[in-house]
Amino acid sequence: MPPEIAQHLGQVSAGAGIGLSVVGMGLGVGLIFASAIQSVARQPEMAKQLTTLMYIGMALVEGMALLGVVFCYLALKG
Amino acid sequence: MNPNFDLNDYIMHHVLNSHEWLLPFTAPVPLPGILTSHALMVFIACAFILMVFLVFYRKNERVPTGLTNCLEAVVMFIRDDVAIPNLGEKDGNQFTPMLCTIFFFILTLNLLGLIPIFPSATANINVTFSLAFLIFILLVFGTLARNGLKGIWKALIPATLPRWLIPFFIVVEIASIVVRSAALMIRLFANMIAGHMVIMSFLGLIIIFGWIAFPAFFLAVFMYCLEVFIALLQAYIFILLSAVFIGQMYHPEH
Repeated sequence: MPPEIAQHLGQVSAGAGIGLSVVGMGLGVGLIFASAIQSVARQPEMAKQLTTLMYIGMALVEGMALLGVVFCYLALKG
Repeated sequence: MNPNFDLNDYIMHHVLNSHEWLLPFTAPVPLPGILTSHALMVFIACAFILMVFLVFYRKNERVPTGLTNCLEAVVMFIRDDVAIPNLGEKDGNQFTPMLCTIFFFILTLNLLGLIPIFPSATANINVTFSLAFLIFILLVFGTLARNGLKGIWKALIPATLPRWLIPFFIVVEIASIVVRSAALMIRLFANMIAGHMVIMSFLGLIIIFGWIAFPAFFLAVFMYCLEVFIALLQAYIFILLSAVFIGQMYHPEH
């Protein structure tokens, strides 16, 4: 494969990687917030504990996805 | 269209560490010796926190007002909602000063990074590494000092585990301690650097396309407002997760 084409393919795949990480992050964070809202609607007295759990889950999902975004960006740059 | 503009270079120039301090309307100010822009930010944040808590925080007031009231509310929140539920009454009270210090340090760095003349030090992986390494040391040596070798064994291996599984569990659990602290490091770093990259990309669109891309300005302002929320949330998440991890190691299930 000529090096130019390889470089362009690398850039395309890094861009696709950014998109895929964001899709995964959107799905995960959406699921977490949806179930948290549902639980609070059913049991409003649990709201305080659920908020803490929701933020922990959101941070765990979002951190890994943002790691993917940043590394894909660095791959795109290099 | 501005064909000579390199968006990558523009973003990296604003996000990465450098030996000069970028100021608006003037040439970049060179910093002396080993001091880099992010190290300077760490010193500024330390000076700011010391100033707030030693000068403006009035401890002897009978009824706290103003800034004292605001800071006390945050400290109370960290003690009652983060430290004590995760670490128990005694350890929670002991750990509150450390968690408060880390919280205010990260929060100050995050928020200072959003002011245009300052670079953001938490978008540097070395700064977040040193913060997460502190938690790593607490997870390993803190547990050793508090509960001894038997305590750390109890924290890692469940009592009802079949004997032939123990070697695998030791490997997995040691890896999990490292991964937990590494995840703390990467989460803060990635969140901050990603936010700055997005804002810079929107602003770069304006430089590339000129007046046509003017709506990107509003997107950048929206992202900026989101970043203020993220700055608060990441500082909170960092201490919350460290409290949860330390609590798991200090109080293993029986």
